[in-house]
Amino acid sequence: MKAAPFAYVRPGSTQDALAELGRDGAKVLAGGQSLVPVLAMRLGRPSVLVDINAVPELARITRADGQLRVGASARQRHVQHHAAAAEVPLLRLALPWVGHREIRSRGTVCGSVAHADPSAELPAVAACLDATMVVAGAEGVREVPAGEFFTGAMSTVIGAEELLTEVRFPVAAPGEGHGFGEFARRHGDFALAGVAVWVRTTGEDVVARISCFGVSDRPVTRDVSAQLSEALATAGARPTEPDLRRALADHADQIADEVVDTGGDAHASTAYRCRLTAGLLSREVARAYLKSLRSAEEGTSR
Amino acid sequence: MSLPRAYARTEADETVEVTMTVNGSATTLSLPSRVTLSDALRDHLGLTGTHVGCEHGICGMCTILVDGEAARACLLLAVQLDGAEITTVEGLGRQDDLHPLQEAFGRHHALQCGFCTPGFLMSSYDLLSHQPDVRTEDLPAELSGVLCRCTGYRNIVDAVDDVAQAHRDGIPGPGNCAARTLVGRTPAGAAATVAVDAVDAVDPGEDGGRHPDEITLPVGEPTITVDVTSELESGPEDVARVFGDIRLLARCLPGAELTDELGHDWYRGRARISLGPVRLSFQGMAHILEQHDDRVVMRGQGKDTGGGGAQAHIVMTAAPSGSGVSLHAEARVFLTGRIAGFGRSLAGDVSRRMFEEFARALDRAAAGAEPDAHSRPPGAVSILVGALSDRFRQRLARLRAGRRRRTP
Ligand SMILES: Cc1cc2nc3c(=O)[nH]c(=O)nc-3n(C[C@H](O)[C@H](O)[C@H](O)COP(=O)(O)OP(=O)(O)OC[C@H]3O[C@@H](n4cnc5c(N)ncnc54)[C@H](O)[C@@H]3O)c2cc1C
Ligand code: FES
Ligand code: FES
Repeated sequence: MKAAPFAYVRPGSTQDALAELGRDGAKVLAGGQSLVPVLAMRLGRPSVLVDINAVPELARITRADGQLRVGASARQRHVQHHAAAAEVPLLRLALPWVGHREIRSRGTVCGSVAHADPSAELPAVAACLDATMVVAGAEGVREVPAGEFFTGAMSTVIGAEELLTEVRFPVAAPGEGHGFGEFARRHGDFALAGVAVWVRTTGEDVVARISCFGVSDRPVTRDVSAQLSEALATAGARPTEPDLRRALADHADQIADEVVDTGGDAHASTAYRCRLTAGLLSREVARAYLKSLRSAEEGTSR
Repeated sequence: MSLPRAYARTEADETVEVTMTVNGSATTLSLPSRVTLSDALRDHLGLTGTHVGCEHGICGMCTILVDGEAARACLLLAVQLDGAEITTVEGLGRQDDLHPLQEAFGRHHALQCGFCTPGFLMSSYDLLSHQPDVRTEDLPAELSGVLCRCTGYRNIVDAVDDVAQAHRDGIPGPGNCAARTLVGRTPAGAAATVAVDAVDAVDPGEDGGRHPDEITLPVGEPTITVDVTSELESGPEDVARVFGDIRLLARCLPGAELTDELGHDWYRGRARISLGPVRLSFQGMAHILEQHDDRVVMRGQGKDTGGGGAQAHIVMTAAPSGSGVSLHAEARVFLTGRIAGFGRSLAGDVSRRMFEEFARALDRAAAGAEPDAHSRPPGAVSILVGALSDRFRQRLARLRAGRRRRTP
């Protein structure tokens, strides 16, 4: 369990980092919480690691233009407790599920998004909120919407010579509510199935979006406004949580059937993942809606 | 948290320099970039308290603190930690002054084989230092980053809960992080150097008969402090005669041997110590700073062939007492490398017993007999048995005290 030798460089600016990434076999080293195990098991043998942790501008967590901007070396644990991150409640709901405290001390938000594990929480959060990924390369910087960013299991549109410099999460507005849930065998394991939910209520109008993870090769995002509206028609506009969950149950089963497309594996069969997803969906969509109601009334976000 | 400084590209067969603070001591290592922090701590700094189980982030055995936050040492490359402050389980408490978490783990039987204990201690320290108000029911999830194969977790959770309840306003910081020397071994083949305060100032073997201006002691607290008084039957004049003859004095020290006189009160020598399966062989130098009829002050410095080091400042005084002499020895001993891993108190017990044996040999020498201490490696078995039975008694006493504490 020892990594094969590699060259190492710790550039002091994004420009220098990009120059180093131009070399053959170079890999970004952010928190190392996914990369170092890969090196230890010799599943990968990059020839040079470009450690981005000395680049001051990549360490920033800022709030600008209605967005929370999380730099490439900002750690999951710091984001979790950062005052500005409170304005993206879904991120706050999801972060405690990412590994353990000890992993989040080092692991980065951008690293998790760039690594794009199909069972990971943060790519689903980015997808659900339609976050913007800022990708820098030799030719310049491009902004990629989350919907176009994930291309498959552990694959994204980031090229080998590019760097994800920032993820921009939209800050929640009054009238928005969120839900997040997952099921894993043990706390800190990757999820067998999980859901991230965003709901916006304006007067009679509801908009709802879900992203499911652990059930496909990438986060699966669906607009479920119609299903939520139908459920509200049955349960009433001010339902209790159990009533709304019951009203959502049939819709949830149907959505789950559509989004779950992994075959079964040693951990769970496809049918089991469908049941988990359906259960999580009706619970979390109901919670997100009720929060959005309260948020609309109080003029805050939840 | 401070950012590391930028570092130029280093090829796979070269080494990278990293300066970090480990348990309060600054250290600079030069390592191949692929060396993990856990290997650097264990193999290069001799800090084997950080255990290694899976080496890929699953088990949590290697949990340490980086800038006050728990992290997996096996998932960090040492070279990433330039400028960082590392705390390992060695820094948490002292054998004679345990951290409340260590106390609680003992009290609650929160360990069986103990392999996971350093990981749990560091993880729970991180938890309680950041969330002193953590709820009991959240502890299993909060402690899920470390695995235990023995205890079934309940006693671990109870121990942490106990400390949490007792320290709602904040848990005491690590108790053993004073600046001190850190010297480790350099594994064969690895081009690693360890920069430390002054330990390498003297290379005993290859000095060509020269000696340094002085032996400087590391800063910080000594590993062992010895303070022993022995009653001798010999009178003050006889003891003064031995104090006046360094060669004779050296022969009283179990296992020691003077090999060279370098002049100006400098000597070269060696010492062998064997304890059970442990064989230590030191080469070193001694410098006599003061030599009077009733007082000798000296400093010694040695290297053990296994890569450890020892430095000592010793003061011996003889005061008339009845018809004999009361011999008082005070020593500050700094141990590094593998011998330091012996553990503070066992090494302390052994050195104290060595001084007692020294006093007996000195008494014989003062009476005109052969000191008879250097001919065999120091009563290894008897020293060890003596030391162990001392510890056994102490432990019994501590257990009794613990029981008393717990009865309401
Ligand atoms: C025991 C354990 C449990 C875990 N549990 C979970 C879990 O439940 N959920 C979860 O989501 N994750 C989990 N993780 C993974 C963790 O969240 C990682 O931190 C994360 O996946 C990667 O972030 P990192 O900063 O450590 O990236 P690294 O390990 O440094 O990098 C990962 C990959 O992404 C690339 N990369 C990183 N940053 C960038 C960038 N800015 N631009 C371009 N490429 C980049 C690297 O080159 C590498 O290929 C777990 C890890 C461990 C060890
Ligand atoms: S040895 Fe580091 S987590 Fe297992
Ligand atoms: S006490 Fe043996 S593994 Fe925990």
